[in-house]
Amino acid sequence: MIKDLNNICNQKVFEKIYHAYAKDLKRFLYFKTQDMDLAEDIMQDAFVKLWDNCGNVNYDKTKSFLFTVAKNLFLNIKKHEKVVLNHQKYQLRKSNDETPEYLMIEKEFLVKIEDAIASLPEKQKEVFLMNRMEKKKYKEIAEILGISVKAVEKRMHFALVIMKDKIGNV
Amino acid sequence: MKEIKNNNTENESFLATWLAGDISDKELKNLVSEADFIAYKKIKKGLLVLDSFEQPLSGSFVKIQDKIVQKKERKQKRQNLGWGMSIAASLLVLFGLFSMFNNSEIIIGTANAEQKTIFLLDGSEVVLNAKSEISYYKEEWNANRVVKLTGEAFFKVKKGSTFTVKTAYGDVMVLGTQFNVNAINDYFQVTCFEGKVKVINNQKDYILNPTNSYRKINGNAFEEFNTSTPLPTWINGESNFKSVPLKYVIFAIEKQYNIEIDANNINGSQIFTGSFSHNNLEIALASVFRTMNINYNKKEKGIYILE
Repeated sequence: MIKDLNNICNQKVFEKIYHAYAKDLKRFLYFKTQDMDLAEDIMQDAFVKLWDNCGNVNYDKTKSFLFTVAKNLFLNIKKHEKVVLNHQKYQLRKSNDETPEYLMIEKEFLVKIEDAIASLPEKQKEVFLMNRMEKKKYKEIAEILGISVKAVEKRMHFALVIMKDKIGNV
Repeated sequence: MKEIKNNNTENESFLATWLAGDISDKELKNLVSEADFIAYKKIKKGLLVLDSFEQPLSGSFVKIQDKIVQKKERKQKRQNLGWGMSIAASLLVLFGLFSMFNNSEIIIGTANAEQKTIFLLDGSEVVLNAKSEISYYKEEWNANRVVKLTGEAFFKVKKGSTFTVKTAYGDVMVLGTQFNVNAINDYFQVTCFEGKVKVINNQKDYILNPTNSYRKINGNAFEEFNTSTPLPTWINGESNFKSVPLKYVIFAIEKQYNIEIDANNINGSQIFTGSFSHNNLEIALASVFRTMNINYNKKEKGIYILE
């Protein structure tokens, strides 16, 4: 019945499930793939699979269904591309001895960044959050705070120096 | 320690310009130590990852829906199988028949006491009430959005070319909107919930705006009235009637509860205004017949007699 709030086949329920789990699923997949586009793709496919099986999946088990499907999709892709990937990594190492383009981002590292932002001195934090969270340009921040662009840039610069010291070398 | 660093970087802002993308990694590399360079690069990457985690995901949801729509045709066949062998069997016969013309008619229906949400090829949504049926031609769909309806359904139409609902009692045409059509047993009612709806009956057009309803019962003159609910009430488990001959209310109860009601001893043309709920038969019967001073008795399982 349409009024059944536990019926995943109901578009409204499906959308609610999406908003409840999509972010977590994408996060989970990013740490597995280290690739935002791939994480996004697999996340979408997992939800399409859920819709395909909406009549067979128990509402209470939706989350574990999504994560299991996502994990399997990831493993399939990985199996399929293993040879290619190994080859690529080998080439990357050869051509880019000096600057490692491939920096792993682990869950713990993101926590460290968030902690470091939280512990910035007030002035630096204010500028930093306006720039990163609100996506404001240095010039816009300068106008809002009534300071020079140079001053904004200095605060940003200093914020990064503090963060690097806090997080330590990687 | 911090004091010193502050002094050191007092006149510096290159990290800010680098983060904004105004100086390149290569230039940064010349300004800081190797270890610091990698540390800054990783922080920048981490910040970008955090950014994308925070991004709203509604865009992705649209893409998921696109993927679902692409797979729709296959899905609808599968859904049909769930609705009982009779429908599956008739479907098979129809597929067989229409494959000869290379244009397959998709038929989707509900049994008594059943409701179903269906997505059409363009992503439009149809909620079918109990004992109702829609059909359309898959191949013609792109050129011609036409759905045939018997029974009652609520439509949420995606914007696009004209969308037509054909019924035995008249046609309903819209561009992109939400509306309800009930066309059963000489009872024809259209309610517009969003946008504009055109009803064509006996070669005459009627335009409905949101909350307007059009109704024509058993060949009588049509009536227009307003509704106040944002959605048809049956979607939320309640059937609502406004000055409707009782026999149509009885049809509706029979459909919703999959029962038979013997109304030979009462006058079916009495006018009823009110509603009944879909989840408790006793309460539903009481709320309709008690208010009309009609006695009802259970004759046997699923069969009731009115006096």
